[in-house]
Amino acid sequence: MIKRILSRLLVLAVVLFGVTLLTFFYTSLSTVDAAQALAVRRFTRPTAEQVTQVRHELGLDQPLAKQYVAWLSKAVSGEFGNSYNTGKPIINELSASLQPTLKLASMALLFTALLSIPLGVWSASGKGGIADKSIYLFGIVCMSVPNYWIGFMLMLAFAVNIPLFSIMGADDLKDFILPALAVAIPTSAANIRVFRSSLLDGYNSDFVMYARARGISEIKIAGMVSRYALPPLVTLLGQSFGFTIAGSAMIEFVFSIPGIGSMLVTALGSRDTVTINACVLVIAVIFVAVNFLAEVINAVLDPKKHTKERVYDT
Amino acid sequence: MIHKILRKPQAVIGLAMMLTVFAVMVFAPAFAPNDPEKINIMQKFAEPSEQYPLGTDDMGRCIASRLIYGARVSMSIALPTIAAIAVISVLLATVCAYIGGIVDRLFVIVSDIFMALPPFLVAMTLVGLFESKALSIVISIAAAMWVWNAQVVRTYVIREKNKPYIITCQMSGCSQMRIIIRHIIPNIFPHLLVLYSTGLSGVIIMISSYAFLGLGLETGTAEWGAMLVGANKLVFSHPELIVYPGLCILFAAAGFNLFGEALRDICDPKEN
Repeated sequence: MIKRILSRLLVLAVVLFGVTLLTFFYTSLSTVDAAQALAVRRFTRPTAEQVTQVRHELGLDQPLAKQYVAWLSKAVSGEFGNSYNTGKPIINELSASLQPTLKLASMALLFTALLSIPLGVWSASGKGGIADKSIYLFGIVCMSVPNYWIGFMLMLAFAVNIPLFSIMGADDLKDFILPALAVAIPTSAANIRVFRSSLLDGYNSDFVMYARARGISEIKIAGMVSRYALPPLVTLLGQSFGFTIAGSAMIEFVFSIPGIGSMLVTALGSRDTVTINACVLVIAVIFVAVNFLAEVINAVLDPKKHTKERVYDT
Repeated sequence: MIHKILRKPQAVIGLAMMLTVFAVMVFAPAFAPNDPEKINIMQKFAEPSEQYPLGTDDMGRCIASRLIYGARVSMSIALPTIAAIAVISVLLATVCAYIGGIVDRLFVIVSDIFMALPPFLVAMTLVGLFESKALSIVISIAAAMWVWNAQVVRTYVIREKNKPYIITCQMSGCSQMRIIIRHIIPNIFPHLLVLYSTGLSGVIIMISSYAFLGLGLETGTAEWGAMLVGANKLVFSHPELIVYPGLCILFAAAGFNLFGEALRDICDPKEN
């Protein structure tokens, strides 16, 4: 297993390198010229000379490959340079805004697990019954609305009509309950489906029949089946953590949380390319790291299955 | 196939909802009582009346008309987007998976790299790509989503190509092109329909999220997500203005989800 994890780590290094290339490539694709945008902010009506000067100052007149190498060699050590917008070091703003978003994503992850696991079990154990059908229908409804709208609805219900929570702020953990629920509800809707079908798959497999024939208690069998059924759910939960951070801007807008999503949207609006690159890279690294963690957990849960997770062509 | 769909109530309801959305999209000018973008400051937050069936918003624009035109805006971006995703993912995944060997391995590695970025992140980064804002949204969502769909298509193709009938085709001298186009794609077609029908609902939600963040569309466009921009200010005074656009998104997206999921049950009865 350790060998397996080490070889995955090697792949991970390749993937991360690819991510830096993609990040840099994506932001440089835009037709909006960052130098032009900054020059406009500085001089209102910049002359061609001033734009050239700004371009030179930002190093944007270098060939793209050179820019990439310069950017990468600094980014590796966590040095993202100064924001075009504010002139301040990006790393400060980044670490400040990452905090609330990480809180939001962690709480959302917790809620997602708390919703998906019991509801998945309930749905699978009462297969075809009223509970199963209602959970199915509820799932379709939740999958069909954007999470920020769920956020608004929760806000209307539990902050306006029944004033249990405040409508904005990110000071204590209580402020994150509604936003995290808004993220967790649609995510769980998809997870419940997957967990339910892998549970059913487990109950229908030969090892359960054999265990029953040997007279092993149903509780022990349930334990065996959930161990069998958990890996796909763990993968999804890991992915959803990264998705939450990437899509956090919407929820942050709704609940006025000063997180990395809002920071990224502001940077996108003013074409602050260094900030965009930094945000995208950080989010991508978190995403990759959490997915890897999920893989490790799965390897521990089910070492055998892990060796052939992909259908390779033979 | 069609017979099976018509016998499943969930599929029929989903189909009916889809058709309703298409009808509203096509005949929006006929349904809408007013011009959705006409600003009338004198009529700010008007109560529902005969002229304004659902009242007006903070700029005095007719809400009912904006919701109706919203279907047109959303769908006219969502349909080309899902078409682009479908073409790219089917083409790449089918060819790579069918050829197999080193090409397929390379495909897996490249898609691993692309999948290391969450789709919404990619879409946001790419949004200012072209002069045309609608085109930018189509391209950026397609660029973000193709790889996730291609992965799924790839597993379908690999499952299909090892079936005996394909081997028989190869032995009887069918060209590879013919096997892919005449045999593999038609046989995985129902699965693809499921994938892209549920995918379309995801795209609709993604477009509304874009609009909500104020990225992408022109300001003032009658789009469901755009109608929620700055809605925080309305929670106490006009909560109904927040509820309506969400219900429209729900109706449109749920139609495609209901239909897609029903189709999935028909395709793989085993899963249930």
